[in-house]
Amino acid sequence: MNALLKLFSLYVRATTRWPALRAIVPFIPVIALWWIVAESGMFPRAFFPAPPDVVRSFGSLVYKGILPEYLEDSVMRLAIGAAAGIALGIPVGMLVGLSSRAHKMLWPPLLFFQAIGDIAWLPILLIWFGFGIATMTFVIVYTVLFPVVLNTVLGVRSVPVNLHRAAQSLGASRLRILWEVVLPGALPNIVTGLRNGLGYGWRALIAAEMIVGTSGIGFLMFDARRAGSVVEILLGMVVLGLLWYVVDSWILVPIERKTVQRWGLVAR
Amino acid sequence: MKNLILRNLSKTYFDPYAGAHVSALKDVSLEVKQGEFVSVVGPSGCGKTTLLSLVAGFIAPTAGEILLDGSAVNGPGPDRGVVFQSFALFPWKTVLENVAFGPRMRGLPRPECERIAREYLAIVGLADTAARYPNELSGGMQQRVGVVRALANNPDVLLMDEPFASVDAQTRMNLQEELTRIWLERRPTIVFITHDVEEAVFLANRVVVLSKGRVLKEIAVPLPRPRAWDALIENAAFKALSKEVLDLVRAA
Repeated sequence: MNALLKLFSLYVRATTRWPALRAIVPFIPVIALWWIVAESGMFPRAFFPAPPDVVRSFGSLVYKGILPEYLEDSVMRLAIGAAAGIALGIPVGMLVGLSSRAHKMLWPPLLFFQAIGDIAWLPILLIWFGFGIATMTFVIVYTVLFPVVLNTVLGVRSVPVNLHRAAQSLGASRLRILWEVVLPGALPNIVTGLRNGLGYGWRALIAAEMIVGTSGIGFLMFDARRAGSVVEILLGMVVLGLLWYVVDSWILVPIERKTVQRWGLVAR
Repeated sequence: MKNLILRNLSKTYFDPYAGAHVSALKDVSLEVKQGEFVSVVGPSGCGKTTLLSLVAGFIAPTAGEILLDGSAVNGPGPDRGVVFQSFALFPWKTVLENVAFGPRMRGLPRPECERIAREYLAIVGLADTAARYPNELSGGMQQRVGVVRALANNPDVLLMDEPFASVDAQTRMNLQEELTRIWLERRPTIVFITHDVEEAVFLANRVVVLSKGRVLKEIAVPLPRPRAWDALIENAAFKALSKEVLDLVRAA
C-alpha cells in the first residue's frame, strides 16, 4: 500500500514536470493487458494481433502512403462538414433561443429530425446522391448541426436577463447585444454542442465511409475486413481514438481554457 | 434641468399562479430634481423594484407616465444608468472593457473609451484591476465596477437597485461612504432602492417610504456632508431620522 502511494506521488510529480505523460501513462496497463493476452496464445495471432504487429502495420501503411492519404481524407471531410454545421447551427440556435415565434415554429421539427439519426439517412441519400462526397457531407453536417443548435438554444436562454438589461441601459443596440452579450454568454453551451457534434460527426463519418467510401479511415477498416486483416482493423480503431484525443486536447480544451474557464463561467 | 418626474404611475401584473391581477404600484407620483440623491425604502413586496424597473424602462406602466428632461421614458436607454444587485457585469469582458462598454456603444473611438474607463476606475481605486476579469474580483470590487460602469456613461439619472445588499457588512459601509463621496464630487442624480432604513438615511437627501405600492411619506434628510459612519452612528439627528423611517416601514 505504502509503495503504491509512493509510486503514485512519483507519478504526480513526474506529470507536473512533463504534462505529456498524463496522456501516455494511463494507457500502459491497457496496452500491457492487450499484449499479454495476445502473447499468451489464447487466440490465433491472425485473430488477435499484438501491439507490435499493429505498429508494424502502421509503419508499412504510412510507408505506402495509404494511411496519411486516408487520414487526410477523413479529417478534411469532418472539418468541412463541421464548419458547415457550425456556421449553420449557431445562427439557427440563436434565432430559436431568442425569438419565441421561431421557437414555436422550429422546435418541433428540430426534435423530429434530430431523432432520425445520421445513418438512418443513408439509404435515401444513396438513392439521391449515390456513393460520393455529397452523401458523406450531408451526413456529417446533419450530425454536427443538431447538437450545436440545441446547445446554442440552451446557452442563449441561460444568459441572465440582467445582462441584457445592463447592455440596453448602457445604450447597446439589438445587434450589439447579440454580438457582445448573447454570443459570449452562450459560449459554454456552444462549446459543449461543438464537442458533442464533432464526436457524433466523427463516428457518423466512419460509418458513412464504411458504406459509401472509396477512401478514409472507415473505408480502410472495412476494406481490411474484406481482406481478413485484423491488424489493420485494430490500427484503424487506434487511429480513431488517437485522433479524437488530439482534437479534444489541442483544439477544444484550449478554446475552453482561454474563454469560459477564464471568465469563471464553468468550474476549472 | 434634467428632472425625473413620475406621474400617477401604476403597474398591475397578472399572477398566473394566483390566477388574478396583482397591483404592484398604485398611483405613485414623485419628482427627483437634477443632482438630487433620493432613497426609496420599503419592505419587500412594497413595489420598490417595480418602480425602478419602470423608470429603467425594463417594463411598461399600466397607467401614468415617466418624464425625464421633459420627454417620456419608453424602454431602456443610456440616459438612465442602472446598478444591479447582482452586479450584472459582463463575465467575458475585462474590468476595463466593462466600464468602457457604455462609451463604446456611444460610438466614441477606442482610445477615448479606455481613457474614460481608466479615469472612472481610478475614482474607486480599481485602476490596477483593469485587465482582470470580474470573476477574479471580490464582491465589493465587482460592485464598484458596476457603479462606475454606469457612471462612465454619464447618465442623467443613476438607478441603483439594492446594489450593496449582497456584499458583507464591512464592505457595504465602505461602499456607502464611497458613494456619498462620489455624489458630493460629481453630483449625479441618484435613485437608490433599498430595504435597509439606515442605508437609505445615510445616503440620501430625501427618503421616500413606499408601502403596498403607494408613497407613504417623503422625509428630507438635512444631515451635513461628507457623511461617515463613524460620525453618524452616534449622531442624534441621524438616529431620530432612522427611527422615524423605521417606524413607518414597520407600520407599513
